[in-house]
Amino acid sequence: MGRVKIAKKSTFIDMTAMSDVTVLLLTFFMLTSTFLSKEPTQVITPPSVSPEKVQETNYVQVLVSPEGKVWLSMNNDTSKNWSNEKMRMALLDKVSEIYNESHKNKISFTPEQKYAFSKLGTFGVPLTQMGEFLNLASQQEGQTAMDKWLDGSDGNPSHTTGIPVNWNQNDQTPNEFQMWMKAMRQTDNDNLASAIKDGSGVAIKADQNTSFEIIHMIMDNLQTIHMNKFTLLTALKGAEE
Amino acid sequence: MAEVQQNGGGGKGKNHQKKMQIRVDFTPMVDMNMLLITFFMLCTTMIKSQTLSIALPSNEKVDNVENMSQASADDAVTIILDAKRKTGSFDVDTVNGKVVPVVYYYFGKPGGDAGIGSNPEQIAANNNLQESEFLTNDEKSGKARGIREIIQQRNKEVLTEVNKLKEKYASGGFGSLETADGREKAQAAYDEAASKVRKDENLKKPVIIIKSTPQASYGSLVQVLDEMQINSISKYQIDNMTKVDSVMVIDYQNRHHK
Repeated sequence: MGRVKIAKKSTFIDMTAMSDVTVLLLTFFMLTSTFLSKEPTQVITPPSVSPEKVQETNYVQVLVSPEGKVWLSMNNDTSKNWSNEKMRMALLDKVSEIYNESHKNKISFTPEQKYAFSKLGTFGVPLTQMGEFLNLASQQEGQTAMDKWLDGSDGNPSHTTGIPVNWNQNDQTPNEFQMWMKAMRQTDNDNLASAIKDGSGVAIKADQNTSFEIIHMIMDNLQTIHMNKFTLLTALKGAEE
Repeated sequence: MAEVQQNGGGGKGKNHQKKMQIRVDFTPMVDMNMLLITFFMLCTTMIKSQTLSIALPSNEKVDNVENMSQASADDAVTIILDAKRKTGSFDVDTVNGKVVPVVYYYFGKPGGDAGIGSNPEQIAANNNLQESEFLTNDEKSGKARGIREIIQQRNKEVLTEVNKLKEKYASGGFGSLETADGREKAQAAYDEAASKVRKDENLKKPVIIIKSTPQASYGSLVQVLDEMQINSISKYQIDNMTKVDSVMVIDYQNRHHK
């Protein structure tokens, strides 16, 4: 019986080309990526046909949960040495100044607390609890504790999350949300200040199922401090004409 | 590719060096890269949010009535947003956790020129509220439906002009559409012309007043603002419900959704 000789072939596959491709892809993703910032609530923004894109920097985002809780975040461009950290520290100073004008119980923050605030992406606890909140940052597992406080899952009934927005028209003193927005408007970052003025710098992000009552309250607050122009964040919907 | 062949000597008897083949296996490298790519792909946002800019009127009370912006009753269309209610009550009815939008509208003054009246029979007789819904164009005929149809009817003159401009744009009337640069220029010219038409004082166009009950969803507000954009409405504003509006909505629901 004759045997068929099978030539031994190497099964070695050259992966060099594959590696080249993956490195290219990796470079692309690394350069184009903007990371999702962690937010205390997940919202689905309503679809809209509006072609305008959201600004990349220089805007203030008002995040509204369906229950009516409000958190803020501030995005600065870093063109003129206005780093987000620096601007946030200044913002905290400004807002405590505004707060102390109208309240007997003065608030002040230590340098450590200010530093902790400068590292926050999204913020929103009542100012009276802000000190306690910021103290968490120096503790072990502090970041997790802060995140839990913000999204309301830490189970401590004395920890309130969200900036107070309730307000009645007869009350002359502004509520904390108005104070924050006023402080934002007075920022040293001229680009942000002008963006807030022309309305492109204030973006409201809310879930599509949020009731109008809540949105109306936010709008009413903004109107009261003469911010009549702002934008609503929406998701892309297929163009229809 | 990842091999380096070393040919030493080339058969020179004594000094014959063994042919060396250095092969680097890139498979682990590829594995690691793939993992990194996966990480970056999952952690990034590619889609940027869209925005919708709105401008609200000032909150301050206008003392002088003459300073108030008034819409003539002919032009005014009031749209009231509401949520679907459970039958027989005013509780919001949700489907799959979603609020179902309901749209009411009326032309001119609430309750007609005579006003709404005070007793229930008068209110029922004078109530000029009508119900509609958010609908997209009919897929087959491309005809507008729902609240869009109503807005389009009121804004016919402007829309005819805008459609003419659109045709002109499509046929290259604003410049050639062949190159990207040309398209951009044509688009800019079209936008300018269209915005002029929308604000043209000689054309009859409606003034739309958007109101909303507290229970309506934010999504429906965005939807109605979208309709303004789709139907080239230049004058619209968001306003608060008046007492008469609430009376009409309650009366309508009492009569139709029992």
